[in-house]
Amino acid sequence: MEELVRLKGDRTGLRLFLDEEAPLEALLAALEEQLRRGESFFRGAELMVDVGNRALSTEELGQLTTILQRWGVDLRAVGTLNRQTRGALRDAGVRAVPSATAPLPTRAESGTRPLAISDALFVTRTVRSGQAVRHHGPITVLGDVNPGAEVLAGGDVVVWGRLRGVVHAGAIGDERAIVCALDLSPTQLRIANLAARPPEEGVPSAGPEVAYIAGGRIVVEPWDLFRRP
Amino acid sequence: MAQVITITSGKGGVGKTTTTANLSTALAMLGQRVVAIDVDIGLRNLDIVMGLENRIVYDLVDVVEGRCRLRQAMIKDKRLPDLYLIPAAQTRDKTAVSPTDMIEVCRQLRGEFDFILIDSPAGIEQGFKNAVAGADEVLIVTTPEVAAVRDADRIIGLVEAEEKGEPRLIINRLNVSMVRRGEMLSVEDVREILAIPIIGIVPEDAHILTSTNRGVPVVLENRSAAGQAFLQIARRLLGEEVPLTVPEEPSFWGRIATWMGRRNDGTRGQ
Repeated sequence: MEELVRLKGDRTGLRLFLDEEAPLEALLAALEEQLRRGESFFRGAELMVDVGNRALSTEELGQLTTILQRWGVDLRAVGTLNRQTRGALRDAGVRAVPSATAPLPTRAESGTRPLAISDALFVTRTVRSGQAVRHHGPITVLGDVNPGAEVLAGGDVVVWGRLRGVVHAGAIGDERAIVCALDLSPTQLRIANLAARPPEEGVPSAGPEVAYIAGGRIVVEPWDLFRRP
Repeated sequence: MAQVITITSGKGGVGKTTTTANLSTALAMLGQRVVAIDVDIGLRNLDIVMGLENRIVYDLVDVVEGRCRLRQAMIKDKRLPDLYLIPAAQTRDKTAVSPTDMIEVCRQLRGEFDFILIDSPAGIEQGFKNAVAGADEVLIVTTPEVAAVRDADRIIGLVEAEEKGEPRLIINRLNVSMVRRGEMLSVEDVREILAIPIIGIVPEDAHILTSTNRGVPVVLENRSAAGQAFLQIARRLLGEEVPLTVPEEPSFWGRIATWMGRRNDGTRGQ
């Protein structure tokens, strides 16, 4: 199922690649499943959807955009190679762009870290209140993440600085994702579909810390403990 | 060529208008030719704080909509010869002016002045966009409160996106004894979150309230600690190296010394 929908980001933003051969019904079901798993990641995200060579009628395009709307996705454009689809997009007032090459299917993960060494996003500034950084892979921030800011990553989040905003690692469902920061004091910390808040009476920072999922809940421990084999 | 400086904050009530009035006055006291523009259309205040309300005939919207020449909307200050105010319209709203209009107004004024200070409205919408459109530099005003600092952070992000260069920060209404009791964010707390250069720290000062009501900016009063702080900021804007001091609550002996200092040199006890 999952292979029918693949997410990839580059400098122009996030692209969701939809398989061009599978029956539409199966494809839309897979899309819905993907959006459900990454609900908070996709809500409010600006997305380009790439349908490749698939021919879509106006009605079928309508089904697709209805699903995207329901999950709060902001559809920026549709990538296509197909003339009929271009016509349907024109009628619906959706921007059409040339289709890009779909990424290779992800190979089975071995379960050892790092999960992905390519495809990381490197941010070298303070992420301020009202700003959101969203990326399908891991995110590294060289700077602070201030209260009121959001960092949403498909993979791990590493903050070389103070993490005080909202952070979501493994936001498309990866429970192996971790969050680490020099000062880990987020407003809220989420990994996959779990969420945690720091204790109300602010505990002073204990130096670099790591958060990850163990035994079905989020645990936080000092970096020094975590890195020991 | 004038330097255009916009004073903004995000949150309302942190002292943008007071800051604009005092910095404009202080720069004029230091011999600069200054014009202050109130962009808070529909909620104008700068005229009141500067004590010029009863002289308004034309306003910024009249200029933009061509009902008067720019000169006619410029109100000359009561006390200082080279200080002018362009008031906002009170009966209109933010949509009456566009960023392009502001750039044009600034362009026309640049040749005649050393400083153009723009008083921004609160918020991040059209009014804010108008206020920063023509700016060469942006000063962010915050108070040491969590909500004000949060909004200042948001505004800094927006100013950075407008590529106006790194804004500088004014921390207003710092109450040293509250900081000491741990009831207020300290200068260090604010600096740590916002991470931009601080151009001034203005202590909480009861003179502000009375001066605002009377329409006489506090920089005109020697006794006011806030006035002294605003004067220092004006000096820094002129490029002078004025060391940044975190205001201390004067001890009893400190007070005596300040008082004697003032008597001796006849001016300020700094």
